[in-house]
Amino acid sequence: MNTQAFNDRNVNDSYYMVDIEEYPTDGWGRFKRVIKRTFRGELFVGLWVVLREMLKFNIHTIQYPLEKMPIGPRYRAVHEMKRLWESDAERCIGCGLCEKICISNCIKMDTKIDENSRKEVSEYTINLGRCIFCGYCAEVCPELAITHGGEYENGSEQREHYIDYNGMLTPLEMMTQGKQQEFEGFGAITPHEDARMKKTPLAY
Amino acid sequence: MSMMENIINFTINGQNVEAKKGETILQVARKNDIYIPTMCYISKTTPCASCRLCSVEAEGLDGFVLSCNTPPTEGVAINTNSNDLERERTNIMKLYDVNHPLECGVCDKSGECDLQNKTLEFNVEQQNFSAKDLSRPIEHWGLINYDPALCILCEKCVHVCNESIGDDAIDIKFGGYSSVIIPKNSDKLDCTFCGECIAVCPVGALVSSNFQYTANAWELERIPSTCAHCSGGCSLEYETRDEGIFGDKEIYRVKNNFEYTNLCGAGRFGFDFNNKATKDEAAFSKAVSAIKEAKAIRFSSMITNEEAYILGELQEKFGMKLFNEDARLFASFMKAYSTVSGKKHHSGSLDAIKQADAAIIIGSRVATDNPAVRYALTTASRHNGAKIIYAHPMEDALMQNTVTQNMKHEVGTEEGVIALLANAILKDADLETQERAFFDDLDLGYLGAECNIGEEEIAQMMLSFKRAQNKVLIIGADIMAHAKAKNIAKIAAIIEKYSAFSLVVIPSEVNTLGVSLINKLDIDEDIIDVVGYNAKGNFVLSSLEFANLSIPSLNQQEGTFVSIDNQVLPTNVALDFKGYTLNDIALSCGIKHKNTIDCTKMLGSQSGFKEIEFDALENFLTSHGDDKRGYILDEVNCKMNGKLEAVDTLPEFNGTVIYHSNPVLQFNAYTNTTKQLERDTSLRGSAQFAQAAKISDGDTVEISFGAQVIQRKFKLDADLKGTIALNPTFDIPVDLRRYKFEKSKIVRMTNE
Repeated sequence: MNTQAFNDRNVNDSYYMVDIEEYPTDGWGRFKRVIKRTFRGELFVGLWVVLREMLKFNIHTIQYPLEKMPIGPRYRAVHEMKRLWESDAERCIGCGLCEKICISNCIKMDTKIDENSRKEVSEYTINLGRCIFCGYCAEVCPELAITHGGEYENGSEQREHYIDYNGMLTPLEMMTQGKQQEFEGFGAITPHEDARMKKTPLAY
Repeated sequence: MSMMENIINFTINGQNVEAKKGETILQVARKNDIYIPTMCYISKTTPCASCRLCSVEAEGLDGFVLSCNTPPTEGVAINTNSNDLERERTNIMKLYDVNHPLECGVCDKSGECDLQNKTLEFNVEQQNFSAKDLSRPIEHWGLINYDPALCILCEKCVHVCNESIGDDAIDIKFGGYSSVIIPKNSDKLDCTFCGECIAVCPVGALVSSNFQYTANAWELERIPSTCAHCSGGCSLEYETRDEGIFGDKEIYRVKNNFEYTNLCGAGRFGFDFNNKATKDEAAFSKAVSAIKEAKAIRFSSMITNEEAYILGELQEKFGMKLFNEDARLFASFMKAYSTVSGKKHHSGSLDAIKQADAAIIIGSRVATDNPAVRYALTTASRHNGAKIIYAHPMEDALMQNTVTQNMKHEVGTEEGVIALLANAILKDADLETQERAFFDDLDLGYLGAECNIGEEEIAQMMLSFKRAQNKVLIIGADIMAHAKAKNIAKIAAIIEKYSAFSLVVIPSEVNTLGVSLINKLDIDEDIIDVVGYNAKGNFVLSSLEFANLSIPSLNQQEGTFVSIDNQVLPTNVALDFKGYTLNDIALSCGIKHKNTIDCTKMLGSQSGFKEIEFDALENFLTSHGDDKRGYILDEVNCKMNGKLEAVDTLPEFNGTVIYHSNPVLQFNAYTNTTKQLERDTSLRGSAQFAQAAKISDGDTVEISFGAQVIQRKFKLDADLKGTIALNPTFDIPVDLRRYKFEKSKIVRMTNE
């Protein structure tokens, strides 16, 4: 890459000086500035705006915590564990990549073999007190199982604050209602994913 | 200049290299650090030659040459890199990847998988081969699970099972794309469960059923150590991880350097014998005063050299006695050996056995006593066509593929047998007159009749040894408690001295040899005021159950063992121990070592130990397979004043005889505590034994021998013959002073 544009320190062509009045240099000058700022009446301009809008009953603020703004789909708040749409089965296969990639070491998991000879997650916790919500776990997850949700209210009175697997898992009734939200942040499927896929030959 | 004729000069990638006769191109390349990729090659067996990845180009030859099984010719120019080779290798990897399940996310092998590595290495970006997939159900073989869908049929498992282990339990069922690994001649896998097939499997097809899906390769911490179950001194790595999400460190699995070494199932699956304790101050101060007041300390050979040394210091400080019958008998055997051979240590080693083309083993049911010796014999048999003579009162079904001649003798007549063997081997040797007189005095007819060994058996043995170059005599642990052990040692020494035989004596426990060199042991008297250190006593310090003070077990300690190879091998802390150790007690008794391992350099040069700090001891094998583990004991010369004693009447054992011998994978009280190892505590005998003892399969019987009376279930074993039954000792210890074969009284318990 050509770095000349970055190294060029000649700013004369495109930069201009902002017109700022001279700073007072003596005591009298400073005194005049104080008086001018005090009696300018700017305060009443602001107060008038508030009064006008109050009388019109046109209120823009949200009554948190009674009211909440919708959160963007890419927002990275408390984690969620997703289920498969086809079978409602848990998506997590227990590969351990989220645990490995976690830079604040807040994910810990344990797996075992289940009665169908499949890998099963037996224990899974995230210490939200340590989590920095970087989103690596969701990005690395090969199954789109661990994602970030919109639940940002995770204040607690202790520094350590764990959530476990079942606490994050989409409830079954949500699946039956079809209300599970897909995460659209890093690691999610992009719209042109099909075009990027190379197909395996199936000659038979 | 015969040496020169055996050297072949040629070039690889323009580099001048030389091969010894019999070496392949691949071996020479590896020796010279030239990389040739392989999938199915394993250094310790003959080449499988199934993957074809090791193909190279030879100048003047069309097509490729398999470097793994082709010896070079003089002056040939070998090329290991070209576009054609690269394309060939990429295509091979593509073929391996056809229908390979995309389950790396859960596969145990992920992260250390040869298929993953080589697929990436050879840039398999897209697949242009296909085959109709087949339904291949997962097989459950006890400790081993087999997933045929993941199997790439490299055949490594089949080769190690046959050539290194000797079980010969698995085979390939050929059928083109539907080929799979199957148990040989059986529906279920019937083997000794060494797990070597799991170790060599380059993919996740053969896995440990206990480990499967519990952890990933990258989560485990690896601690290089030495196996603590028998005197083989096999190298292994404990792999640990926090158990669960709030748990302590636990050992998850054990791995070995499968490229060059073997490991039996006890080492691989019997790793969870660690002890758990906290600092119990009351018990500790009781232990200190118990030791101060004790008349003796009785200890087992499941101990490190350093602990044994500290016990020796306690012995000296308080003027007490030290009891360890197992090591004392071994020491007295070796002392008798030294008086004739003039050397402190036996000359042979496991490597000598592996390279042997003739071997005699006497006094050991070796497949269960010491698997390392068995594997070495297997290698000798498969790779050198070694003639192996197995002299024992019982045949062993596990050895039937390896042994070329069973020399079945009467119980208790080992002295006669070894005299007969020595007489044949040293027939033309240049003996001293006195030694010749010993052989001239032998009543061969009497010995042959009493031992039940015919002249033709000896003649057959001598005939089979005719062309042998490297011969080994292996003496088992049965001999140590034999009434005539000392004379047997002297006869063995004579054979070693005047013939091409080297000698290997099998120590019975993990550090019997080390203890026998370090401690001055007294004859065990049944006195009171004995402190037991992992042994019986009035006050017991033990890493097992029922201890007055808990101490760490061998995978929780730093220290060294002396193996059958006379090699001082380091063992390391796999798991922390939070209680007290022997060194803490010694400190309270006024013996000042900061750490237990400070004693490593003090073990004593009079026994061949070197003055090397523990931390200076290495514990690894190089990529070429050179052993960099610990050090070999220095040879120590001894006075030669021993005289052979005439062989008198041989003892007779009639009636129902039991033989103290553990089942496969069980060695001692530690293997008995592990989760995965099978515990067969039954008395096993043949139909003939059952008839003689008037018992039948499944009976609970009371067995009386010596001063002991024990109860066991009787199990008929179709593999056994004759009137000797096998009595396990891993669960109920027996008196180590007594010969391992016992005349016994067996009574069936009445069913109520």
